Amino acid sequence: MSLAAAIRSRDVSTLPSRRDEGWRWSELASVVRAAPPLAGAITVASGGGPFAELTADEEIVFANGQGDASPLVVEGERTVKLRFVTRADAAASLSAVSILVKAGGSLTLLESYEGEGEAYVADASLDIQLENGARMERIVVAEDAETAVSVSTAQVRLSANADYAQAVFATGAKRQRIETRVQHPGAGAALRMDGVYLVGGHRHADLTTAVTHAGVDGTTSQMIKGVAAGSGRGVFQGLIRVAHGADRTDARMRHDALLLSDKAEIDAKPELEIFADDVSCAHGNTVGALDDAAIFYARQRGLPLHEARVLLTEAFVGAVIERIEHPGAREVVAALAPRKLEALTC
Amino acid sequence: MAAVKETVRTVEGLGEGYAHGFVTDIEQEFAPVGLTADTVRYISAKKNEPEWMLEWRLAAFERWLAMDEPDWAKLNFPKIDYQAARYYAAPKTDGPKSLDEVDPELLAMYEKLGIPVREQAVLAGVEGAPKYAVDAVFDSVSVVTTFKAELAKEGVIFCPISEALRDHPELVRKYLGTVVPVTDNYFACLNSAVFSDGSFVYVPPGVRCPMELSTYFRINASETGQFERTLIVCDKGAYVSYLEGCTAPMRDVNQLHAAVVELVLMDDAEIKYSTVQNWYPGDKDGKGGIYNFVTKRADCRGDRSKVSWTQVETGSAITWKYPSCVLRGDGSSGEFYSIAITNNFQQADTGTKMIHLGANTKSRIISKGISAGHSSNTYRGLVSAHAKALGARNFTQCDSLLIGKDCAAHTVPYIEAKNAQSTFEHEATTTRLSDDQLFYVMQRGLSQEEAVQLLVNGFVKDVLQQLPMEFAVEAQKLVAVSLEGSVG
Repeated sequence: MSLAAAIRSRDVSTLPSRRDEGWRWSELASVVRAAPPLAGAITVASGGGPFAELTADEEIVFANGQGDASPLVVEGERTVKLRFVTRADAAASLSAVSILVKAGGSLTLLESYEGEGEAYVADASLDIQLENGARMERIVVAEDAETAVSVSTAQVRLSANADYAQAVFATGAKRQRIETRVQHPGAGAALRMDGVYLVGGHRHADLTTAVTHAGVDGTTSQMIKGVAAGSGRGVFQGLIRVAHGADRTDARMRHDALLLSDKAEIDAKPELEIFADDVSCAHGNTVGALDDAAIFYARQRGLPLHEARVLLTEAFVGAVIERIEHPGAREVVAALAPRKLEALTC
Repeated sequence: MAAVKETVRTVEGLGEGYAHGFVTDIEQEFAPVGLTADTVRYISAKKNEPEWMLEWRLAAFERWLAMDEPDWAKLNFPKIDYQAARYYAAPKTDGPKSLDEVDPELLAMYEKLGIPVREQAVLAGVEGAPKYAVDAVFDSVSVVTTFKAELAKEGVIFCPISEALRDHPELVRKYLGTVVPVTDNYFACLNSAVFSDGSFVYVPPGVRCPMELSTYFRINASETGQFERTLIVCDKGAYVSYLEGCTAPMRDVNQLHAAVVELVLMDDAEIKYSTVQNWYPGDKDGKGGIYNFVTKRADCRGDRSKVSWTQVETGSAITWKYPSCVLRGDGSSGEFYSIAITNNFQQADTGTKMIHLGANTKSRIISKGISAGHSSNTYRGLVSAHAKALGARNFTQCDSLLIGKDCAAHTVPYIEAKNAQSTFEHEATTTRLSDDQLFYVMQRGLSQEEAVQLLVNGFVKDVLQQLPMEFAVEAQKLVAVSLEGSVG
């Protein structure tokens, strides 16, 4: 049962536990022991959030789960800010939105999770559909409170020749999970699914993705970078499934993670499920510490240890940030990363 | 494409091409059909086991009754009726005192399988040729073990585990079930209750075992399962290389094989464990074949100990097997080299676990999966480094090769890193045989079949190289037979 459904039915007994394969590293059963009440209404001023400096055609705000739930239909070229704002203590905020990008349309979605308060539970559900030849770039910045439980789930359906790209920037919470499930028709559609997680303190971030290639001639490219410091825990679960007959699929998945503390933890499961023979699929995964030789090099150039670590970590996650196409969003994330890393590496 | 088509055609013939599918007509005695506490008592009594062993088995049986069969693997098979099988089958004999008393039918069978159960059969070769000792397990009993006396001179104990229970109970009791606990998993628990025979090896401190040891498992009787148990203890600074082979007759019904292998390594010890698994895989329509559920684990208790698993898996209708290394000792290392070939309707879910507990532990995983026909081949692996495993290193490479439109290849790796001083690298690829490579090799004058063989041999050579010479030849032939005309 989803988190939102459990809270609505006020029955948390069915929340995923360690025994549920897809949630083994991010179980919710022990962190949501009772269904919290729904959070009360709040007023959120427009123009805030991490993308405040950027201009957009439209801003949609879900404030403690309250907002305009009518479907967002995009024709032509649009930039939309989608803000999930939660300001609550021990209460729940449930939001759902659906997005349709019409044939030939193009959407840049600047999505943010802005949470303040103690022990709130937030659930956001997105239903995204791209019609023939549509384009969409989704940039997600998730900043939740350290004691929060926050789950975002996006179902993405692509049509032929669609182009979907996303970059997620997650900083963790008590549990923070950003899950994306993509139905990929092949047929010339292209998919990029990038992400960065930076966790410190006792924060936990989980990036989970599942892509199903159902038809011929599809491409998927995925680059995830993670940094865990303090007692932070980073989780990456990626699944690429190539269905029977989905020939000429080209799918590549990469996950690299840095552990900056002996108390931090990284768990990864990069999975391939291939039912077609004429494919080229690969995944790579590395987990390790910062390279001593690189730190030595930076230090002998005069950088203090701390700065050397920030510089190298920044370069490490920079590879993902550089792939963001929207220049403004790229700058926002590029500026956010060092600030977060500064806090993690000190 | 033509080469691939030909491959598929040749591979289709493989089910019929199983060379070890004959049945040996021999008088046997059986346990009654079904599994109850009385079955467990029957097996224990047949083996003249000490009372503590019977209690151990009965406790395992009680626990097994309360357990559920695991269903997380990517395997599809009808529910197993554990009450429909027999849990003990043995040739009718009072126990041969020497090879001359062994039923000639049995000796003829081993000759047909190419297993040297007569010491002179090995010795008759070229002078200076390497010897290897054989423990031949037929259904539920060990028929013969060669070179025991010569090994004993070095202090090496190599005998059936039922004999070890009688002659070396203190050693067996000390180590049995300490690597794979009775309740480790459903199939290990079943094995603990009903295991019949298998090999026991003890190599004393500082001894390098003077020859390769091998156990040959043969299922012969119908409606029976084989539940062998192998325990190898390598004391400080000792070394042993152990080989394991398995075959079974061709039958239309599925037969169950649930084994447990435990390896114990003390300081500076080294075990090289190689398997060529060639159980009957079923026919081209997926009828018959062995259900193979195996728990294999090595416990590197000592510092700087080293264990190496090498497996060539071509058989079984169902394979569920994850040879693992618990790297407890500082500086210990584990290796896993695997070739898994599935064809027709075979399903394999196999891989390894590398559990890094000690400092500066190292592990290496090389897995090559080849799927053809309608088969499904899954690599499932876990690499974990615990908080104290500072300096742990792992390198994993798993490659899958697909031949034909209807097969499947999956890769399910789990990586868990819990300290900042460990380094894990994992790479995986899934491809089919490249047309460009085939074209290149063929325009050098090789036939399609030779070209495919060459490419596939190249694909699996990292693993074949790890096998002891005696096995490498057999394994290479097996790979060739398994995918003749297509993948070598």
